[in-house]
Order: sequence, then C-alpha cells, then structure tokens
Amino acid sequence: MTGPRVPRPRLRSFTLENGLRVVLAPADMSPTSSVWVWYRVGSKNEWPGITGASHWVEHMLFEGSPRYRKGEIDRAVVGVGGQLNAFTDVDFTAYFSTVPRDHLSVPLDIESDRMTRALITDEEVSRERTVIHSEREGSENWPEFRVEEELYQLAFRMHPYRWDPLGSRVDIERLTAEELRGYYARFYGPRNAILVVSGGFDAAPVEREVRRRFSRLPSTGDDVSVREVEPEPRGERRSELSGPGTTPYLQIGWRSPALSDPETPATMLLDTVLGGETRIFAAGAGWGRAPEHPSSRLYRALVDTGLAVRATSEWRPRYYPGLFTIQAQAAPGVSLDRLERAIEAVVERLARSGPTPRELDDTRAKVRQSVALAYEGASRTAFRLGYFSVLRSPEYEDELFRAVLTTSANEVRDRARGLFRPETRVVVRYTPDGGAGDD
Amino acid sequence: MTEPTDPLRVEYLSPVEGLEVVRQSPPPGAASFSATYVGPAGWGFDPDGREGSARLVNQLVTSAAGRYDRVELARELDRLGATLSRQCAPESAEVTVWGPASEWERLTSILADVVLRPRFDPSDVSRARRQMRERQLREATQPASRAERELLHAIFPPDHPYRETGLGSPRSLVRLSRTDLVRFHREHYTSGDARLVLTTPARSPAVERVARRLFRGFENTRSVALSVPPASRPRTTERSVNLPGRSQVEVRVGGASISRTAPEYPAAFLANEVLGGRPLLSRLFQRVRERGGLAYHASSELEAMRFGGYWIAQAGSGADRWRRVVPMLRQEVDRLRNETVGTPELERTRQSVIGEIPLALESTAEAHELAVEVAYYRLPSDYWLTWPARLKAVRPSEVRQAAAIALDRRSSVTVFAGPVRNASRSPAPDGRRR
Repeated sequence: MTGPRVPRPRLRSFTLENGLRVVLAPADMSPTSSVWVWYRVGSKNEWPGITGASHWVEHMLFEGSPRYRKGEIDRAVVGVGGQLNAFTDVDFTAYFSTVPRDHLSVPLDIESDRMTRALITDEEVSRERTVIHSEREGSENWPEFRVEEELYQLAFRMHPYRWDPLGSRVDIERLTAEELRGYYARFYGPRNAILVVSGGFDAAPVEREVRRRFSRLPSTGDDVSVREVEPEPRGERRSELSGPGTTPYLQIGWRSPALSDPETPATMLLDTVLGGETRIFAAGAGWGRAPEHPSSRLYRALVDTGLAVRATSEWRPRYYPGLFTIQAQAAPGVSLDRLERAIEAVVERLARSGPTPRELDDTRAKVRQSVALAYEGASRTAFRLGYFSVLRSPEYEDELFRAVLTTSANEVRDRARGLFRPETRVVVRYTPDGGAGDD
Repeated sequence: MTEPTDPLRVEYLSPVEGLEVVRQSPPPGAASFSATYVGPAGWGFDPDGREGSARLVNQLVTSAAGRYDRVELARELDRLGATLSRQCAPESAEVTVWGPASEWERLTSILADVVLRPRFDPSDVSRARRQMRERQLREATQPASRAERELLHAIFPPDHPYRETGLGSPRSLVRLSRTDLVRFHREHYTSGDARLVLTTPARSPAVERVARRLFRGFENTRSVALSVPPASRPRTTERSVNLPGRSQVEVRVGGASISRTAPEYPAAFLANEVLGGRPLLSRLFQRVRERGGLAYHASSELEAMRFGGYWIAQAGSGADRWRRVVPMLRQEVDRLRNETVGTPELERTRQSVIGEIPLALESTAEAHELAVEVAYYRLPSDYWLTWPARLKAVRPSEVRQAAAIALDRRSSVTVFAGPVRNASRSPAPDGRRR
C-alpha cells in the first residue's frame, strides 16, 4: 500500500511456536532498553463475581515467580537503575521495564519467568486485598472516577465493558486466590501475549536470547474474545450522582464503533475537532493528553464562554463497540442544565454542517505532526509498538494514519450524524454536596 | 574549544541583557527540541492581597502572546507539532516549548513571544480566573491537595513563600485586575536572575545569536529579591481535616528542610531515597504496602529549593486502616535518624540512583529537565557527570546526620485529610491536636 507512513524504527518481528508474538526495535544509539509484555487479557475477560481479576493478577505478577521471590523483581530492575510498572485496561494488560542498555537480560528473564509460572499464593492474595481496596478508594476520591464508572454501568447491560478494570468493591472483598490462579492459568500465556523490546541492542543476539528464554514456555492462553453482544439501546439513559466536589460535572456518552469499524478514522477526527486531539495521535513529549485545547470546538463553546472550566471529548480504541464521551466541569455558578444544552448545541452543529475546511486542515496537520516525534526514546517506542500490536499490528498505525488524513469533511459530518443519536445517549451528572471540610 | 555533546554537561553561554543562556546537547538519536525560560516569578512574589498573581500570569503567558491570540497560538503550535507547558513554584515560574528540533528557531521565537509579549486579553483573564476559582475549590475538597496545604500552613510561618500553594483566596482572586497581572509580569518575567535553557543540536554561536535576537527586549530588567523569613521549627503537631463522603484518608508527615545547595544535600537526597523516594525499594513502600498491605501509595519527597525546603512522608489509606499507617510513617522517619543505614541498603539505593541516569536521557524532554535544574540553581556545568562521584562519597553516618537535619521529625507536623470524623482516636503519642 502506498501513501504517507509513520516514521517508525526498523523492526524484526516473529512468532514463536508457542504463539508468542515478538517485535524487536533496535536503536543503536539508545542508552536504554525497554521490555514490554502486552496480554490481550483485560477486564473484558472477567465476569460478575470476579470483576477486577485482571488488575489483581497484574499486582500478583510482581509478588513472585519460581526464580524471583517476593520483592526480587522490583529489586532486580530498580537495583540496576531501571523502572518498571504495569497497567490494566478493559481490553489488555501491559507490563514494562526500562533499564540501562547493558541490563536487558534482567527484564527478559523476569518476563519469561512470570508469563506462565507466577506464584499467586493465598498469603499474598490476602495481603494484597487491602492494597487493591486502597487503590480503588484513591480513585473514588475523584468525582470523575465515580461518574465514569456510573456511565459505563448505565451504557452496558450485557457486555463486560460495564465494569471498571479495578473491579467492584464487593468482588475485591470476596475474590479468592484459587479464582485468581484459575483466571491466570486460563488466559495468561504466549498465545495471548506480545513481547516488544526496543532500544540499545543488536537484533540477532537478542532474538536468540528471546527464543531461548520464551520458546520453552507452554503454549497456553485461552480464547479471549468476548461472546456477549450489547443490544442496541432504545432510548436515552440518565443518572444523577452527588457527593463531595467542586462544581457540577457531567459526562455524556454515545455508543461508538469498535476499532475495526470502517468509521473509526472519522470518529477520530470528530474527537480531534471536538476535544482537540485523539488518543492515538496526540502530540507532545508526555504520555497523556494535554490538559487544554483552546482551538477545539468544545473549549471555544464552553470554556471561552464561561460555562465550563474544562471541556473535552474522548474516544478510546476498543475491540468492541464502546463509548464516545464528552466531559465538562461547570464554571462556578453554572447549572448542569445549561452546560448540557450547550454541549447538545455543539454536537448538533457538527452533525448539521461538519467541520470547516480550516478545521479539517488543522486537524490533519496536527495528526501528521503528532507522529513525527512519537518514537523518541526506547520506552515510548516499545509502548507505541505494543499498543498497535495489541490492537492489531504495528503496521495498523500506518493504515489509520493514512485513513485519518484522507477522510473528508462530509464523512466526518455523516459520522457525527450516526454517532450523536439521542437514543444511544447516556448522561451522568454529578452535583457537589458542598462543604470544604471541617477541622 | 570542543563543544560539549554529552547531554549530562551543560554550557553557560554569554548572557543576553542579563539573561543567562544555557545550552545542552540532546541525547543521541533524539529529534526533538526543548527550551525553557525560568525566572523569578513564583508565588512567593505575590503582592499582599493579590495572592494568585503568579499562577494566573504563568497560565496567561502561555495563552496568547505577540501576534497570536489564544486560538492562533494553539493552531501555530499544532501546525508545528509543538506544545507549550508551564510550571509555577514558590520561587520561580517556568515556560517550556517542545517540538521538532528542525524548527528550533521558530519555537524559540514563540517562547520569546510568550515570555516578553503576553497579551492578557480580557476574556482570557476572566477565563483563567474562573479556572483558578475551581482549582481553589478542588484544593480545599480533595484529600491529597488539602492535606498538603494544611501541612505547609503548619510548617511555615505567615509570609513565608513555601507556606502557600499559590492559588490565592476567593477574595484575592476577585481583587486581581488585568492591570495587576500586567504589572506582575513586567516586574517578574525579567532577565535578571532568569535563565533561558535550550536543548538543541544547534551549535553555541547559533544559539547565542538566536537568543540575542529574540530576547533583547528584556533590556536587562532586574527583579525584586524574594523575601524569605526564617522557617520556624514548629513543635510536633497534628491536624485533621474531615472531608466526609471521600473514600480514602491522605496522611502527610512533614517538616522544614534544607536548600538544594546545602552541603549535606547529596546525603539528604540519599536519606530520602532510602525512606520513600525510591519507588518499590524504599522503606515506606516496603513496610506500608508490601508488608503491611495498608496502602496503595506510600512514599516520601524532599523538596529542596533555593532558600530552604520541606520534606513529606505520605500515604493514602482507607477509613478503617489509616490509623495504622500513621505510626509506620513516623517510625520510619525516626529510624533514619536513630539508626545508621546499613551498607547493603545504602549501596542498593545508590546503585539504583546512579544506574538510572541513562533513563533520563531517553528523550530530549527528559534530558532537558536535568539542564533546567542545573541552570536554575547555577550548578557547575558538569554537575550531572560528577553526581555519581558525589553520591559514592557519602558514608552511612553522613546519611544519618543529614536525615537528622533534613528529615527531622522532632519538629514535624502530621495531617490527616479525608473521612476522619473520629480522628480523636488516632494514635498520637507525641502529638497535640488542634
């Protein structure tokens, strides 16, 4: 296929007989090496009663394996000056370590040891329970978390996207070590994993090392596809929450297509026009979205006019149909009714007229520029390669990139008409109950 | 003379109208560029009754400047694939531009515009004021930020720049006019005591030429000196803030500390790393989370600035568990002063800190942070190259001595913020409740 391509490093990719996909991205001059293992396992693979299991397994994979007893994984990586962590999403889970380039064998050894043989002991599960409660409690301190959790619970009745990867409080309390071991044994293994290594190394010896360490692992990992299909909603759903907070806050969601849907590029452009950027093609040296996008439609319509102090949109790439959301925090003294009407006016106008030629030009320029520096540094390179690999393949980034650059204004307008339908709308409103605390 | 190409070594170039210009080479293979203006424009300079000035000005300079209104500035950055970011602290304020190295002159020109020629459009001022008011509310109602604010209020005396978080009060915010902000900018976004730090492959003469052309408008302005009263040593106290409806209690233990240029800084830095600064390895993480299972986060910070600083040991825990966390934080701080850290533990921490240096060279943006730190504190140009040697020279006994000065719990404050209605039952063997 011809057309613009993302300036990615040269890759060496292969698949081991046990099903493990491997992507190597050597960069001669890099002072570091980064190792990421992406599992296509996330909260989508859980079921009521064991919600939060993927996240809990994520914690347990730091608590011991045959060669690394409790605490030794941390000590091995941090001790050589490395950094390590992990995160759990609805569709996938990722574990990563970045180390000075001379120490690449350390994370490779750890990942091969814990891919199928993590020790999930009763004692450690019991101890970790309060840590996980604490992580959830920390999130609950934020109204934004409460609203988003409610939004997905409201929007989905069948599909596992309805619960947060942290899991419910009830399930965190009752999940057993045996259930976690069963979940891990069923889904975690080479067949559901992608190993990405980037940074300062020679490809040939590292390929040999990867084959030596990982080829001997059993070919495990059950099918992770989700059978539940969420029925098309037949009307708007709403919820009102209240609690501690600053000013009224709301999120509105509309059912959005899965990543594989041909409408995806137009959806990403909608996200960029409304909120200022889209997750996959966001500019900047950081890892997250920028806090403000003054040229975006939502910002101009809500923040500039004094209705909100923050406003943005968000579309997350998902294996299955998810939500396109708009989030806004009211300015002091502004009601949620007024804020909601203003948001409706913004999306109606976009659905009626589509983006202006200048908006579309700016949006394309933004996307084009965002990829130019996206592969600076071993950690960012491995993250990006792994992210596209877990979604589909590294080359999928080129496909999306080209499609976004060639999608027309009319296609974006039509996408807005298809997306912003009142019957698929979900609204969660949060009203602060006042009080800045008493000493 | 050979130009330094090691990003761990910065180069002090000829000043422009009093503005210090510092150049750093980017890490090998990096294709991006970063430039920062850091000047004496922190909230320690907020005029009486006009608290919030520094933060508002810092926000507004990145909003609209020179020929760009807010939307045009955002579009120009988007077209270049660049970003503008800002940071405000008690002593200083920063503005950083990041983007493709090939556009470094254009990006530096944008930085010059925002530093020298912000517009303070009335609509922007109104918007920034609304946003700041919401941040004030957030600070008051969010357990983590509220705990930190209470801690600083208890540690530092009135009029001390480290006592505040820079957001001002509802009253000061209402009082702040556009004229006040323009004046603050004129007096504090100056060349005197300020630095321009560029991480670029461009050679020094080119950097000097561009800096001279773009920043000559400063006309050697001088800023007023920051007034810093002595940080009194508070008696050990406790404060609790009940925030009903929250799920987690944020606990902070902290006190006044040393400056970044104090002779004992390397030893104090290591003491903090042993205590809670080093993720995963630290004593607080190991005891509170790994062995106790009591909290998701448990760590410590040493904020060493020009005129002093403060330290914080912190954790967040549920309403039914936080009381057990408090003595753990206190005991671990005390242990650093009462016991000499073992050689293996110190060695492990030291190796980790030194080993981590290459990770700071993954990208231009990360390397640039090192250069800004060197420039701001006027450290030697080879500071990061010699940092490992300074750390290796620290003996266990020095860590203990430094902890007694820089992480001194004998004059510390403990704050709990969150659902703590029954805080009177908290363990407080040495505390006074407010």
